[in-house]
Amino acid sequence: MTEDQQMLRDAAERYLRDNYDFNARRERVNAGEYMSQEHWNTMAEMGWMAMPFSEELGGLGFGMQECAVVAEQFGRHLVMEPVMDSVVVAGSLLTFEGVNTPSSLIEQMATGEALVVVANAEPDAAPSFVNTHSRLQATEGGYRLVGEKVFVAGGGSATHFVVTARLNDEFAYVLVERGATGLTVNHYPTYDGRSGANLVLDVLVPESALIATGETAILAFAQARARVVLMASAETLGAMEAALEATVDYTKQRIQFGQPLASFQALQHRMSDMVIQVELCRSLVEAACRAHDEGAADEMELILATKVKTANAGRHITQEAIQLHGGIATTDEYVVGHYFKRVAALDSWIVSRDEALDKFIAVVDAA
Amino acid sequence: MKDYNAFREEVRSFLAEALTPDLVRAGELTTSVFSDFEAALKWHKILHEKGWVAPDWPEEYGGPGWDINERYIFQEECKLANAPTVVMMALQMLGPLLMHYGTEEQKAYYLPRILSGEDMWCQGYSEPGSGSDLASLKTSAVRDGDDYIVNGTKIWTSMAQHSNRIFCLVKTNKEVKPQAGISFLLIDLDTPGITIDEIISLDGHVEQCQVFFDNVRVPVANLIGEENDGWSVAKYLLEFERGGHNFTIDIKKQLAKLRKQARKVKARDGKPKLQDPVFRHRLAEAEIEAMALEQTELRIKGALNAGGNPGALSSLVKCVGTELGQRFNELSVDAVGQAVTPYHADSLNPRYEGKGPVPGYALTTMAEYINNRAATIYGGTAEIQRTIIAKQILKL
Repeated sequence: MTEDQQMLRDAAERYLRDNYDFNARRERVNAGEYMSQEHWNTMAEMGWMAMPFSEELGGLGFGMQECAVVAEQFGRHLVMEPVMDSVVVAGSLLTFEGVNTPSSLIEQMATGEALVVVANAEPDAAPSFVNTHSRLQATEGGYRLVGEKVFVAGGGSATHFVVTARLNDEFAYVLVERGATGLTVNHYPTYDGRSGANLVLDVLVPESALIATGETAILAFAQARARVVLMASAETLGAMEAALEATVDYTKQRIQFGQPLASFQALQHRMSDMVIQVELCRSLVEAACRAHDEGAADEMELILATKVKTANAGRHITQEAIQLHGGIATTDEYVVGHYFKRVAALDSWIVSRDEALDKFIAVVDAA
Repeated sequence: MKDYNAFREEVRSFLAEALTPDLVRAGELTTSVFSDFEAALKWHKILHEKGWVAPDWPEEYGGPGWDINERYIFQEECKLANAPTVVMMALQMLGPLLMHYGTEEQKAYYLPRILSGEDMWCQGYSEPGSGSDLASLKTSAVRDGDDYIVNGTKIWTSMAQHSNRIFCLVKTNKEVKPQAGISFLLIDLDTPGITIDEIISLDGHVEQCQVFFDNVRVPVANLIGEENDGWSVAKYLLEFERGGHNFTIDIKKQLAKLRKQARKVKARDGKPKLQDPVFRHRLAEAEIEAMALEQTELRIKGALNAGGNPGALSSLVKCVGTELGQRFNELSVDAVGQAVTPYHADSLNPRYEGKGPVPGYALTTMAEYINNRAATIYGGTAEIQRTIIAKQILKL
């Protein structure tokens, strides 16, 4: 770890440990709040929203290695605010070389004023970003966008959406403001304490809202998907490690048959297996982020491997964490089940485990 | 900053010249941690002449004085070039231990003989009644003047049939708790009262032996460390057995071999097995595990380079490396199908020139599958490693 990364980790660790209380989070979730504006503002002040943006755009110019360090802490502390969804994923689509984004929007994202999320999945389209039935049609002074989007992560509190669609048979994406006429945002809470939304769109957007088309749009999305994988994997890593720690602490204290559960070898070895998986995942997450930032030859191989591995291990560890705790971990008031739910959501986030495995094979066999 | 590329080139050109076809053949036909003994000894002597037989030893004891990166490169290049393995018990275990605990006389006498290959050592730890619970060992050494009288038996003594010496853990005090009454003793195998029984392994070959001691006289001067301090000596040695190995190099070799096999063998539909989606997905999951292992070993190497200690991470990679190796063995067995069935021992002898019933691509597959079951048993079982992880990392 570089000094920058250590400082980021320590600052995030300290802030979240001291201020991001699990019970307060639970109260917010149960009250139907999708995020805490107070935390959101502080996270912007901490600089986390500016991390991936270049210095010219008012950002910190950090790579995925630095973003992953923070994402891991988000996983540990079950942060519900969609920071990475906005600044890393949507941010990546909005700052890709050759795209057409007003720099004022990036400045707003970096200061937390704007929260932008990607809307790509559709009810009847195969889960691949280029398969979209949404249509863009040129009209006077802009475009008419007609379509339907589902499972938009962070959609409950977003101020803008990056919406994928076809324009003259080319893949494209446009920026749509939340308040746009003809946009219906049907938002809902998600199992992992966040928000999602389904969108119905028949809106007119100005010409300047067209961010990218054709090859540029496809390449930008490929990069964003790689970063989704890196952020999902880093956050899963933090969640699985926290679930393991909770399990170790609990089994040391819980007395059954007159002795701590942790004294039983059958359970010790299962926890050792969890350690092994955490360490293997950490190695891959670090290597994949480094390969991405450096544009290494084996970048894709490492990123796809990381998705498969962390998805497998994330499930295994959070499932084991519940099992080793027993009944207490099946309750809403206990933290461990919430890691389990978040990991399940991260598994499905834009790039699935199975898709990554399939692509991994294609990349390796082509090499 | 050292020029590691130049070093790699130097190793490569040496191997290209020194590895004669018979040695390469022995390397290719290696199905366990041990190569054909004749070839291993020949290779040992060639390496000794070059000064490279003990990559881990410091220069003052006759090693090449390589840093960890150079050792890694050497190990990797030997593997890629199909070099046979040299018998490692003395080079990797006893040697470093003598350097740490031996007297000047012991070091001066034994270390050069290890390097030259004049002495072949085997390890006498396990007993029929003492495996994972090593401290319960029963082989006794009772003082009689300047000698000990040794009685008992040692088992799983690899290569004892080719060795002239054995390093043993013996019980010198039965009155204290088990760990406190153990001593570390060097014994000449030609001493009267010693018999060696060969054990036929599942693959039909002999690698393991059982050694019996019946009133064997051993000079007290052969003690390493203090009397009754053998347990800490042994623990020091076990760290070498665990930490000194890079699994990724072996795994990569296995993977390359497996891919070659799976291109050659036809699946049900007549296409290469490698294109069978069921097989390919299983292989991909194992490849991903191999990448995770590689990155973890690189992290450990980074820590070692920075002067750190990998600690229980070496238990972690022992578990992952050995279990993954076994997974690749299984995939290999599945890839070649019924070609695993013919048993033809001669085909695995590097000096055999005939043609047996096993096709070339499957020659070593079944024997490797069989022999590698031991990998999760020796050097501290997978279960012992998990207990170490639980204790040292989780503090359970």
